[in-house]
Amino acid sequence: MIKVDDKQLPWSENMTLSSVLKTLDSVDLCAVVRLNGKLVSSPNFDKTPIENNAEIQLLPLVAGG
Amino acid sequence: MGRLHLKEIKSISYEHADVKKGYTDQSLRINLDATDIIITPIEEKVKKTFIGGKGYDLWMMWNAVSGSTKWNDPENAICISSGPLGGTPGYPGGGKSIVTSISPLTGAPIDSNVGGYFGPYKKFSGFDVIQVDGKAKKDTIIFIDGIENTITLFESENLPTDAYELSDILTRHFDKDKPINVSVVTTGPGAANTFFGCLNFSWWDAGRKRVRYKQAGRGGIGTVFADKKIKAIVARCGTISMKTNNPADFEGLKRVTKTHAKEIHDLDPKQNRMSLVGTTHLVPIMNDHDCLPVHNFKFGSHPESRVIGEETYEHLFDKGFDGCWKGCTVACSHGVKDFSPVTGPYRGQTVFVDGPEYETIAGCGANLGIFDAHTILEINFYCDAYGLDTISVGTSLGFVMECFENNLITTKHTGGMALNFGNRFNALTLIHQMATGEGFGAIIGKGVRRMKAIFAQEFGADMAFMQDIGMESKGLEFSEYITKESLAQQGGYGLALKGPQHDEAWLIFLDMVHNFMPTFENKAEALHWFPMFRTWFGLCGLCKLPWNDIVPEDNKTMPEPAKVAKHVGWYADFFSAVTGRKTGPDDLISMSESVYNFQRVFNLKMGFGTREYDTLPYRAMGPVTVEEYESRQERYDKQLKEKYGLQITDMSAKEKVAVLRQKREEQYELLKDAVYERRGWNNNGIPTLETIQRLGIDFPDVVELLKKNGAT
Ligand code: SF4
Repeated sequence: MIKVDDKQLPWSENMTLSSVLKTLDSVDLCAVVRLNGKLVSSPNFDKTPIENNAEIQLLPLVAGG
Repeated sequence: MGRLHLKEIKSISYEHADVKKGYTDQSLRINLDATDIIITPIEEKVKKTFIGGKGYDLWMMWNAVSGSTKWNDPENAICISSGPLGGTPGYPGGGKSIVTSISPLTGAPIDSNVGGYFGPYKKFSGFDVIQVDGKAKKDTIIFIDGIENTITLFESENLPTDAYELSDILTRHFDKDKPINVSVVTTGPGAANTFFGCLNFSWWDAGRKRVRYKQAGRGGIGTVFADKKIKAIVARCGTISMKTNNPADFEGLKRVTKTHAKEIHDLDPKQNRMSLVGTTHLVPIMNDHDCLPVHNFKFGSHPESRVIGEETYEHLFDKGFDGCWKGCTVACSHGVKDFSPVTGPYRGQTVFVDGPEYETIAGCGANLGIFDAHTILEINFYCDAYGLDTISVGTSLGFVMECFENNLITTKHTGGMALNFGNRFNALTLIHQMATGEGFGAIIGKGVRRMKAIFAQEFGADMAFMQDIGMESKGLEFSEYITKESLAQQGGYGLALKGPQHDEAWLIFLDMVHNFMPTFENKAEALHWFPMFRTWFGLCGLCKLPWNDIVPEDNKTMPEPAKVAKHVGWYADFFSAVTGRKTGPDDLISMSESVYNFQRVFNLKMGFGTREYDTLPYRAMGPVTVEEYESRQERYDKQLKEKYGLQITDMSAKEKVAVLRQKREEQYELLKDAVYERRGWNNNGIPTLETIQRLGIDFPDVVELLKKNGAT
């Protein structure tokens, strides 16, 4: 299983951040997540694999300074 | 206190004006030429039109200066205001000061929104706004004592020159038993020797038992302060509670304060973790989206940037409560204790560094090719102590380094220093020189615009190239974001009233990453709404971070999530509860629109404020050099082919740079047209008479000025 915000989701082989986000609603403005506590930005979503038991927090729209 | 020699030169007692619904309805003017201390009521019409904060400052300034006033003329004023909501303990971001003056960099009004306790302390001492004008003959301290109800001017001698030590001594001097009652505004020696001096606004950190600082950085207000020989402005005030603002609806205020504070308390740990990392999370995010300025804004990312982001600073920041306002649950104003500088007058001593924030890391780190968290801390510390704006310092040094790498300047001009990107010790040496006004640092302290003229006239450097790479607009150095791929943010910088500072509009992600505003009309709408709403924080004495850096969990399902409608509603409730003026979200925009347009007219009064001044260096729009083009070749080639339908197979890289430039410059001009129309301005960027009538700022001198400049 993986955890996205407060929700548990099933984990599968070859999962990436992009493939996880595709299954979720209202993520159009999500350009950054925390994956196991580390920031990952949208240009890297495709190439970021998700391990089993991963914890993902979806960060809100980046608002700048 | 052995070193403190204060000679009283004037003192008055005054009757304390009670705060009613967020206002004292009084202004305080201090004229340093005549040592006059003048207290004046604020008219109802002024209150209705200008609201407070930046609005009050600009109104006072408008009446203080003429169109020919220069920054160092005695009549130039420094105005500091809080705003009706400023001084609400527990409301996140509820205690900012807004400072204005005629800027030494731009020649036009500049405004800076700053934390620390001064703004609320000054208001609760009886004054919504203070104006300081004239010039003192000797170093002067202005002391507003809201407990004893006295205002005193002191001449001072032998005080420390740097802001770090000075604020500490004055805080302890003016209330040695309760230093928390004191807030001090100071600058440092660099302010007198550069054009980008900042002001340090202090608060007493009760947990750490030390003075802390926030900076009113932009536009050189510290330089004006030093030129007037103001050593410090000190406010003293007793205990503050939510009742001190005497709100119209105390229960309503309690409710909205509690709701907003709780939301931040609950959600910040799940979102940006600002209470732990401040704004340092932006470093990796900007880097990964190619928006972090690297090597004078040439590139947008660098593989070493991770070491200067949140992962490093979270461990360096001292743990503890870091609100720059009482009870602010965002508490993002972090610092590093027991830091030991390796250069300069504090070498080998241990100091507390207030910061760094994202802008300092980006400007004085990545932009200079310095990927070393400790050097950035040292630059941050000395800039604060010397009273230098870290953004202007970073952007100016980046320009100099690129000039050096392109042989526009050589060691012959720099006093023998190699100034390649990454040369951290020489960067620090230049900052020490800026503080004393010596060596090549003295030239850098004049800012990018003046450096371009000096390098061209005295060193024979190529002016056209420097215009393209010198990151200033209207004379102000850019704050630290790469805008090349966001036309909307190019507008956010180029059309900003005071110059390229992101506090008016920050649209990069909405535009570039999410493509949320594909048309010119969409962009123009955003460049109307966001600057207006962000202006509102400055009118009320608030910090904008709690608005959109922590957002409700359901915000993403809202029709326009970037506006964070729930929070806008809370701000309207907050305003209604304090002032008693029934206010809805749209009212906040119209309040700001009056002040925003007034500031545009003020620019016009000072000889600017038209289309020709809303320009950008080309580097803010696209690649200046072939090297820069090639660093993002895939993206640019694609645009030329797909967006503009060009056949590029036979084009050289140089030709591609030229044609992309032509296209992007055209787009920017079209954007200006769309924004001017949306804002109710004519094609020359001047508000129409209809606009100023609608906004209630059709004062006779405003109308006359507009007519003289062709407005109809
Ligand atoms: S959000 Fe941060 S900068 Fe704003 S008032 Fe709170 S602590 Fe200060």
